[in-house]
Amino acid sequence: MNFLRAIVGQTLRNLRQTWSSQLVTLLTISLSVLIFSFFFLVYINVLNAGRQLGDNLRLIVYLDEEPSKPLQEEYRQKILKFDRVEKIEFVSSQQAYERFRKQLGHDQDVLEGMPRDFLPPSIEVYPIRSLSSLTRIKRFSDYLQTLPGVLKVQYGREWIDRFYSFVKLMRVVVILSGMLLILTTTFMVAHTIRLTLCSRERELELLRLLGASNHYIRAPFFLEGALQGLAGSVCGLVALYVFFDWIRLRFAGSAMLNLFPFTFFPVPVILAIVAASTLLCASGSFSSTRRILRL
Amino acid sequence: MTAKSPEIMVDLIKVSKTYPPRVHALVDVSLTVHAGEMLFLTGMSGAGKTTLLRLLCRGETPDKGLVEVAGQDLDRLSGSGLQQLRRRIGMAYQDFKLLPRHTVAENIALAMEVAYRKRSFIRKRTRELLEKLRLADKYATPAGELSRGEQQRISIARALANMPDLVLADEPTGNLDRETTALVMDLFREHEERGATIIIATHDRELFSDGSHRVIELTAGQLRSPEEPGRTGEQSLHNEEASQ
Ligand SMILES: Nc1ncnc2c1ncn2[C@@H]1O[C@H](COP(=O)(O)OP(=O)(O)OP(=O)(O)O)[C@@H](O)[C@H]1O
Ligand SMILES: [Mg+2]
Repeated sequence: MNFLRAIVGQTLRNLRQTWSSQLVTLLTISLSVLIFSFFFLVYINVLNAGRQLGDNLRLIVYLDEEPSKPLQEEYRQKILKFDRVEKIEFVSSQQAYERFRKQLGHDQDVLEGMPRDFLPPSIEVYPIRSLSSLTRIKRFSDYLQTLPGVLKVQYGREWIDRFYSFVKLMRVVVILSGMLLILTTTFMVAHTIRLTLCSRERELELLRLLGASNHYIRAPFFLEGALQGLAGSVCGLVALYVFFDWIRLRFAGSAMLNLFPFTFFPVPVILAIVAASTLLCASGSFSSTRRILRL
Repeated sequence: MTAKSPEIMVDLIKVSKTYPPRVHALVDVSLTVHAGEMLFLTGMSGAGKTTLLRLLCRGETPDKGLVEVAGQDLDRLSGSGLQQLRRRIGMAYQDFKLLPRHTVAENIALAMEVAYRKRSFIRKRTRELLEKLRLADKYATPAGELSRGEQQRISIARALANMPDLVLADEPTGNLDRETTALVMDLFREHEERGATIIIATHDRELFSDGSHRVIELTAGQLRSPEEPGRTGEQSLHNEEASQ
């Protein structure tokens, strides 16, 4: 209890004495957290959107003739050999005709005089809605193309390929900004701690002469780093939320936002970001005192 | 605690300290100070008084010889052992070593905070010491704004704050007038009665002129018992010990 009081008092004194450099550090941390969490938020939302698109995603394999029951089974086996799938559905040319007719609605009369089997039979393959299976969709399609009796394989190829290269790019950006976050926070925290150490050199020397324990000397720095990380990440996230809210209001009702619900981080993610940066800064300052105090 | 002999507080055996390039600050100094003793250390400027006191709290390490405080060999002490020993030693430095931007109260409290004393104890003790040194009105003043004499008294207050077993006072009355000197000496005597061991380095012969305490003199880093009247030998020492 006495220990804690002394430590907290010492930390507050530190913050008061070097507040200008503390402020710069806080700003840097906030900014890094903002940048990282911005990209991370975009990434998460893109992933969500991708998952939603995946719901409607299917590969349509057009066959040259109606498969018999045993042949259907054979196709099923071969498809499953490549990858697990959500669902496989066989559509006869009769069913395809019915579907098409329904889609046409009032314009059904254009079908007048067409043979009922003018549409080829097909297999509809619904891939599992995970990112990894979705990114392999091109190879899946190529594989299906090689099956006997297959005329053509269709899916939103262009679109999906572009989408997933975007997702991959986003992933790289998120990782890079995460690394930037780690670098800047640890560097800046270490830097301010070094400033504090220099400005307090005499005091630290005196503390050692008075018999202060290592914990007594180092804990305030640890606490200082933790506070920096905590305050910095909270500021960064608040700034992001304000920005997020502004975007949502600004583009309310626009087609893009209606299509994909744009959501903020769930609470556990927010807590994880705050905890991670707090820990990062605390350990950064702690380790920099180790070096400088030669403990 | 591995106290070899609990009644010996300070034991120096053939201690030498040389500063670069070739300043022999201490040469083969041997000295035994018993617990509860008040001892005056005198000698010309540059004789090595400060060096000797700094060796005792390991502000400096000897080149040769053994330094034992409270039965512990300082050379083999490190980490938490050293920290705990230092909390039992109160040193008033010749250059005060105050933190100029901290208040008087904070400066004094530091010695007790590092020993994790209770808040209430710290506040009470700080007020009490300031009261006794007639500095009560300076409680919240930054130490850097005080006069030399006031700063000196603050450094003494800090040395005594944590009720140390060993008090090392380096020239504690150098900037003080007669009356204030008496205040400080009263405070030391109070701690002597409490059982603390007190070593005072001073030029001021008046401090020990009453002859009730042992006086040792350093001359160019060498210890010699001064042939002064009023010097009391081992005899009075043992009397003091018995009275504890
Ligand atoms: N850090 C140091 N580096 C080099 N020489 C030093 C150092 N400290 C002390 N000395 C030298 O050691 C000798 C003894 O110094 P010390 O400070 O112990 O003397 P002193 O008896 O306390 O003197 P004073 O009465 O003036 O305070 C002096 O010659 C001094 O110049
Ligand atoms: Mg001196």
